[in-house]
Amino acid sequence: MANITVFLCRCFGEIDNAIDFDLLRKELSKDTSVSSVSIVDSLCLEADIEKAASQIKETKADRVLIAACPTLSRGNLPVDGLIKEGIERHKIDLVDIREGCAWIHGNDPEGAVKKAKDLINMGLAALQHKEASKDMRVSVHPDALIIGAGPAGLAAATSLAKTGFKVNILERASAPGGMLRLISQLYPTGEDAADKLNPYIDEVENNHLITFYPQSKISSIEGCIGNFTVQFSSQGEDNSIQSGIIIIATGAKIFFPTGLYRYGEIRNVITQMEIERQFLKGSFDAKKPVFIQCAGARDKERPYCSTICCPASLKNAMRLAGENPGSEVFILHRGIMTPGNVLEKYYRDALSMGIQFICFEEEKPPMIMGNDRVEHVEVYDAVNGITRKIETDLVVLSTPLVPNDDSVRLAQMLGIEVDRYGFFSESYPMHPLETKMDGVFICGSARWPVASDQAILQGRAAAMKAVSYLRQREIAASTLSRVPGPKSGHARVVPDSCTGCGNCVAACPFEACHLEKLEDRHISKVDMMRCKACGNCVSVCPNGSMQIPEHNYRMVGEMIKRAF
Amino acid sequence: MAGFEYICNRKKDAVLVIGGGVAGITASLDLADAGQSVHLVESDSHLGGQVSKLDKLYPTDHCAFCLLWTDVKKCMEHPLITVHTLSHVKELKKESGKYSAVILKNPHYIDEKKCIFCGRCVEECPAGAIHPGWEHAWPPSFVIDESSCTKCGNCAEVCPSGAINMELREEEINLVVNDVIWSTGFKEADLRHLKEYGSGTHPDIMTSMEFEDWTAEGGINKGEIVKRSNHSVPQNIAFIQCAGARDLRMIPSCSAVCCMHALKQAGWTKRRNRTIDCYIFYTDLRTVGRDYYRYSLREFEGTEIKLIRGRPGLIHPLPGGDGIAVQFENTLTRKRELRKFDMVVLNGNIQPSLIQYRPGQDEKTAIPPMDKEGFFNTESDETSTFACGFGLEPADVAESVIQASAAAMGVMNKETDQT
Repeated sequence: MANITVFLCRCFGEIDNAIDFDLLRKELSKDTSVSSVSIVDSLCLEADIEKAASQIKETKADRVLIAACPTLSRGNLPVDGLIKEGIERHKIDLVDIREGCAWIHGNDPEGAVKKAKDLINMGLAALQHKEASKDMRVSVHPDALIIGAGPAGLAAATSLAKTGFKVNILERASAPGGMLRLISQLYPTGEDAADKLNPYIDEVENNHLITFYPQSKISSIEGCIGNFTVQFSSQGEDNSIQSGIIIIATGAKIFFPTGLYRYGEIRNVITQMEIERQFLKGSFDAKKPVFIQCAGARDKERPYCSTICCPASLKNAMRLAGENPGSEVFILHRGIMTPGNVLEKYYRDALSMGIQFICFEEEKPPMIMGNDRVEHVEVYDAVNGITRKIETDLVVLSTPLVPNDDSVRLAQMLGIEVDRYGFFSESYPMHPLETKMDGVFICGSARWPVASDQAILQGRAAAMKAVSYLRQREIAASTLSRVPGPKSGHARVVPDSCTGCGNCVAACPFEACHLEKLEDRHISKVDMMRCKACGNCVSVCPNGSMQIPEHNYRMVGEMIKRAF
Repeated sequence: MAGFEYICNRKKDAVLVIGGGVAGITASLDLADAGQSVHLVESDSHLGGQVSKLDKLYPTDHCAFCLLWTDVKKCMEHPLITVHTLSHVKELKKESGKYSAVILKNPHYIDEKKCIFCGRCVEECPAGAIHPGWEHAWPPSFVIDESSCTKCGNCAEVCPSGAINMELREEEINLVVNDVIWSTGFKEADLRHLKEYGSGTHPDIMTSMEFEDWTAEGGINKGEIVKRSNHSVPQNIAFIQCAGARDLRMIPSCSAVCCMHALKQAGWTKRRNRTIDCYIFYTDLRTVGRDYYRYSLREFEGTEIKLIRGRPGLIHPLPGGDGIAVQFENTLTRKRELRKFDMVVLNGNIQPSLIQYRPGQDEKTAIPPMDKEGFFNTESDETSTFACGFGLEPADVAESVIQASAAAMGVMNKETDQT
């Protein structure tokens, strides 16, 4: 029989004002599982916790029930304090009788006592049947793996290497740089992209802590935080590396607007990237260029703003206007997206340079006129309410960034999520670079279209997030919790009764369940490092073979029985 | 294993983080998780900053408190983070690569570690000076407002846990730190000298942070949308974007967060009371983050928020105080209109909270270089200035925490360079 010590906290009269503790104590002492009931003034001050701990040791109580205020108030203080005093977590239970009982039922003392009794009874039932999950420790491989060597990946790699960690970079192309290699100048500084990139490339080449694998293709990723094993081929050779964490910086690709605005059909309708390519070769001659924004973006198919195209158009428009004096530059837009102080000033600079902005509506897109080459653009100017015919010799389409083709494949290998458009998505809005899988971080345009300076910022931020894991020798599964305090256990399979139906595998959002082959059948297996104790698997298991020991069937059943 | 050894053996010299909003919390947690000890200075009575004043966060419509609370609690309980609330930096000097700082810490007359949140002191206080700092602050505790406190000592007598000590005095804490991260955030600018917005002339003309507080689910009206003048349900609300922002007379920059903020507020107004007509007067509807554009479409189509492109020229209370006249031109239809609104929410007038300071004006506080609008200019002094959040550039929650982590990485890398 269990030997439970119950602490009833008066909270200096806050609780026993409404709840008759004598009655409660009388009722509780009838319960055979209760060995002692103590009424205390408070439990959350330091002296109280010490006193309670020594009392528990004296009475040699197995388990402790605390009836006080909830965790969100101060209830976790006695619980944490007793854990520090050496009492195991699953042997303590906390019941809220202040906010949830005494305070809201202050005018109904009889009801309050009844509710408190029910709550405490449920707590007693829980304590008698609560079990503890096993914990697991994984030793952390101190190397980092970065997938993608664009500005985000390079920034992450150099930051980690400077901090002293060994870094492996996998890159699909043969040289580092990513999309920055295709761009001539950066907004809003006008700095050469190469100048921005070269220090990073030098660092990658010269830092002995960084290993760069060009032309690589990943075939499989296995393992979990602390110990990922990645199989890949680089320059035709198969290879395998281990790493403690993975940073995804695979970037995005440019959307080609085939069929839009007669792109590909007539000459002189080009994309923003083509004009960048021309600028890389030298100057560009266009007297009357017209930029068209949102070509393939903010429409039914791609209902998102790609962030970088408005400032990029401003940059190229100003460059064309500067290089070709006397030219007339138009930007046709659906709202110029230049948030912030720097970009807003950039927009004002463009206005003061004489670049003309015409706002059009989604339903009335500009028309490209001309036979084999564009002669003029017809656009309905929504602000002035007139249709304008703009003579032009060049139409530049601002197209959005779209996710890489293999982003879904990579996401499946890692067990992380992509959003509705195909960009990698975070699991928790307040931690925008962390994914569903611990130890897998996302940054740069692989996460969401960003300019190079933001990508570099995100790369460094992702590296910072990685440091906190890489610096540990070992990681315990129970510490991989997103909330303060340890995780509330892991799912556990009863191998004898598991039929291997696979329901849990399908239900697990964290890819923690998989089927393992035995001699005659399959059974489910839970990866503790991935399990977040959400309980999805428990609810779909047809015969109760899947349990979370801290919240097992018997315990919940007993609790319900005592409540009604 | 080089990195591991380095991190484990590193000197435990502290970093000073100024500002305990979402950026400061993230920077502190990141540094502390990497083994660096941190002093976090916050002028308010609790951590959380401006996000703690928000009801919901776009674009996921999460409750702001739920997302913030876990990090606030982690921060308060982290062994390597020392949190100084109700404090500000009095002196900050840079000497031979290090900073010496003097922190002026105002007393918490109510000890957070002992307050059981029973509220007896509130009932006893004759001046009404005691209130919860933030309903969800961690640890939960009441705060005495020093400006209205008469020091009668009634509260200390009734406090059952002995948490109140009125004898406490402000103290100065001297610190020597290796680095400083500035995460000072934003404040609302006073719109009263832009007369056309009518700010302060009528109780139903509010700023968006006031509206957020007024309509918060956990706030005084429990999520009800009512007028501040007479507590009746308004028929229509006008959300005015770029009030004071993108305006060379006041804040030339775009405040970046207000378009989404207005869409969120209008959407939630509609969700709570479908009968209220919501109008958003915008210049460009800037929706550049993940799902932001979809959020704007959803709010527009799903809940019939009326978007009007144009900035009102005059907002003025009607005679008798019933309603507010808004004169505007819809720039897409080119029609000039004068319409009566029951409530007006002014959005966009936010600026860095250190704008009134000038770098170098005071020898004692080494404020980093700033541009004219009060944003830190980190490029000019890249090696020693780390800033994040709205003080660096207009940023929403996601951008602020990314900047915070990046600033923390900057500190780590700089430390390595020196060793």
